[in-house]
Amino acid sequence: MAYLDLSLHDIHAALLAKKVIPLALTQEALARAKADKNNAFEFINEKGALEYAASLQEPEKENVFWGIPYLLKDNFSTIGIPTTASSNILNGYVPLFDATVEAKLKNAKAVLIGKTTLDELAMGGTGTTGHLGKTFNPWDPTHERMIGGSSCGSAAAVSSSIVPFALGSDTGDSVRKPASFAGLVGMKPTWGRISRYGLFPFAPSLDHVGFFTRNAEDSALLLNLLSGRDEHDSTSSFKPVERFDSKIGQSIKGMKIAVIKEITDSISNEQLNASFLKSVRALEKEGAKIEYISFGRDLLESIYATYIVISCAEATSNDANLDGIKFGPYYGGSTYQEVMFNARTKGFSELIKRRFVIGSFCLMRENQDVLFLRAQKNRAKIVERTNEILQNHDFIYVPAAPGVAPRFADSSDRLSDEYLIADNHLALGNFAGLPSITMPLAFIDGLPIGVNIMGRAFDETGVYQLAAAFERISGLEGLSVLNKKEGKL
Amino acid sequence: MNFEPVIGLEIHVEMRTNSKMFSSAPVGFSREPNTEIAPLDMAFPGTMPVVNKQAVINAIRVANALHMAIDHTVVFDRKNYFYSDLPKGFQITQQVRPIGKGGYLDILDKNGKPKRIRIERIHMEEDTCKQLHFVDYTLLDYNRAGVPLVEIVSLPDIRSGTEAMHYVEAIRNIVVYSGTSDGKMEEGSLRCDVNVSVRPYGAERLGTKVELKNLNSIKNIEIALDYEIARQVSLLLSGAPVQQETRRFDETSGRTILMRVKTDAVDYKYFCEPNIAPIRLSDRFVEDAIKTCPELFESKKKRFIEFGLSETDAEIILSDIDMARYFEEGLPVVKNPKALANWLIVEVNGYLNKTGQTISKFSIRPSLLSEIANLQDIGLTHKQCADILNYILEHGGTPKEAQEKLHITIQTSDDVAVLQYVSQVLDANTQSIADFKAGKDRAIGFLIGQVMKISHGKVNPAAVAKIMDIEIRKR
Repeated sequence: MAYLDLSLHDIHAALLAKKVIPLALTQEALARAKADKNNAFEFINEKGALEYAASLQEPEKENVFWGIPYLLKDNFSTIGIPTTASSNILNGYVPLFDATVEAKLKNAKAVLIGKTTLDELAMGGTGTTGHLGKTFNPWDPTHERMIGGSSCGSAAAVSSSIVPFALGSDTGDSVRKPASFAGLVGMKPTWGRISRYGLFPFAPSLDHVGFFTRNAEDSALLLNLLSGRDEHDSTSSFKPVERFDSKIGQSIKGMKIAVIKEITDSISNEQLNASFLKSVRALEKEGAKIEYISFGRDLLESIYATYIVISCAEATSNDANLDGIKFGPYYGGSTYQEVMFNARTKGFSELIKRRFVIGSFCLMRENQDVLFLRAQKNRAKIVERTNEILQNHDFIYVPAAPGVAPRFADSSDRLSDEYLIADNHLALGNFAGLPSITMPLAFIDGLPIGVNIMGRAFDETGVYQLAAAFERISGLEGLSVLNKKEGKL
Repeated sequence: MNFEPVIGLEIHVEMRTNSKMFSSAPVGFSREPNTEIAPLDMAFPGTMPVVNKQAVINAIRVANALHMAIDHTVVFDRKNYFYSDLPKGFQITQQVRPIGKGGYLDILDKNGKPKRIRIERIHMEEDTCKQLHFVDYTLLDYNRAGVPLVEIVSLPDIRSGTEAMHYVEAIRNIVVYSGTSDGKMEEGSLRCDVNVSVRPYGAERLGTKVELKNLNSIKNIEIALDYEIARQVSLLLSGAPVQQETRRFDETSGRTILMRVKTDAVDYKYFCEPNIAPIRLSDRFVEDAIKTCPELFESKKKRFIEFGLSETDAEIILSDIDMARYFEEGLPVVKNPKALANWLIVEVNGYLNKTGQTISKFSIRPSLLSEIANLQDIGLTHKQCADILNYILEHGGTPKEAQEKLHITIQTSDDVAVLQYVSQVLDANTQSIADFKAGKDRAIGFLIGQVMKISHGKVNPAAVAKIMDIEIRKR
């Protein structure tokens, strides 16, 4: 087993003991990145990473990120490193500033190995719409299955054990859904917990920085590093940064956990239902009090439409800066309208244009009331219901997706119960801005499936306490395609 | 038929804050294009707006000066449209909840009678980048992109070009004296869009409105409106309708020229800016913003008049905030504020005009000018003081040194002393006395000159003339 496959604490211990040095870790990560067959990379930072890793000489005892290789989704701004958000409209764009999260990682002396693919501009859940084409699920060597999106490259890379962690962004479920298909821990903390400065916006009221790790503790350590008020992001929270790993290992006895009945009821996959039930029993055995509750079917079914309206409306405005004038390829034109028209026609894929049209339509004066404002009102209702449940329960616990990673060829029935409810409920966490983590549950025919734990605003410490307990139950800590652990559920 | 013009104004004021509305780039006076830019100002992906606190304070001060209700929750919206001068593809503004609502401003109408103009709203927003159009290309200067603006929207209460001019003047005085802006129309830091329509007197319904742009001086507002009102009236009298359109003022011809005919209003697809959470202002914050507002024009004017200045003199000094500041800095030293005002308005202004300088670059400190003004009070003539001023302007130094170098002494008006010199001169110039008696009036001038000469200028010429006139008749 290579050092890269270990947890952050274990790699750190090896670095402190000088059993391995950052340069060797980096070389190994680069070698694995170059051997990637899943289309996970937009850019491999070979020269920069090697130079930087070579400069790291004295390990820092209290800093578990010292010399650790990592990846960023290619929608985080990085000084001097091309950042395209997997869109042709940003080909050749080299940012002039670092995202706050990148600045923090740099400051912690972690080593940036590269930038990963995404659905174009982070809009999409399939990992198929980026300008480099489909990203594949490493658990399926035949390349028939998706990894999910939009943070497809980061998910593929961490489950391939190229790096111990990678950052993504999550607007609807873009970290937590791929985490489920990739057998990873995928975390999205409370809205405002981590600065979004430098994250290319999709829909700011829903956007979150998130990340993939292979165990709950690494995820907590990463949140320790990345969270905190940032003067560049006025929506970032003033809440003091906690030690989010401080309750890991503590008993979950007495925790009150709600399972949303409509979600489990809508899932037809028997193996998933059986594993989920087993996990419920196991949690109860640990002393947790689990209650099946009803959320409200109408509200759950309205999540998808509400999400599409709000996210597309915000996106059409956020991406209006991509006009071919300031950055990205220039296609010419004799008037400013022509310059913009040419750049946006050639720079965006059809799918993106469709979202912009939807968003624009929802914002039109004559439609705002019935579409955009109504969606916002509905969002408020959904949030109210979610928080109501969290008044009586500490956590909401549900399957993260209705099944394993779908085949590219399969198109889901977008109006089925299963799709409308079980494939879209993770957006609850975005609507309400609540901390939400996906954990690997079990395997079905060799493919991972995950569960999701959502907690109260700013209770990431509690979420990690439960997630770590769950990890002991599932036995899937440190899972990757290299070790193919089987788990206990 | 007689027509009544109906006029409303939208005034955009560029704030002179240290940094931009939502970014840390300086709002400076750089003449070098594209040197004052943060990534946000060019809408680089991932940048986020952070509200400038001073801009909020300024907006509160202006809103208060306009007697408006101040919203204690600051909320911003996006105004979405594509244009080459709009880097983000949207402007962050305050559509739904302007920081100030429902105010007024009292001005004078064209007959000099007081009139109240109601003001609908004041809101904060950001400026666009500046475009320089050439035949086959356009240059973009992002220095202006993101500069904080306040927009002040009046209700259509204005009824003449003169009123509009007075209104803009009064607004300018408020934004300049509150420290919000330099208010320079010529440089575009105060910009007016004027909506004007005409209707028959007594009519309820409004006529079709025309929007006027490019009004780059206070005086041009009046000229443009007078022209435009006459144009609309003559159209209506000839039976032609007024078109809804945007017209630009052409300074050389003094006319308004068609820019574009307005079609349906643009849908800006406003929605709440998601990257700025609503900001709750405490009562204390709003009170402090108002309490610490620098003294405004009207209050200063009142105070200057109490010092003995005429209304005209007070207005001349206040027409330039730097002049007003200079005047106030000289006040603690000067014995007679009116004298200091005179020195500023006549001598100093004359010197500044002649040399093309501004008061802020004037080399003589206010206290020094006050000292010079005081010399007149203790007996030096205006001319002597002016000589001292000019000497210091040229050579530097103190008034005392200048006085010594120029051999200027205080002239006596003491009757006994003057009489002594007059008698001495009359005794020595019998021919001149004869000339005077023969009707040659200018002989008296020669005699006074002689007095000044033998007294080495120590006597007051006016006193000499008076005593000479008496004494010569006695001979």
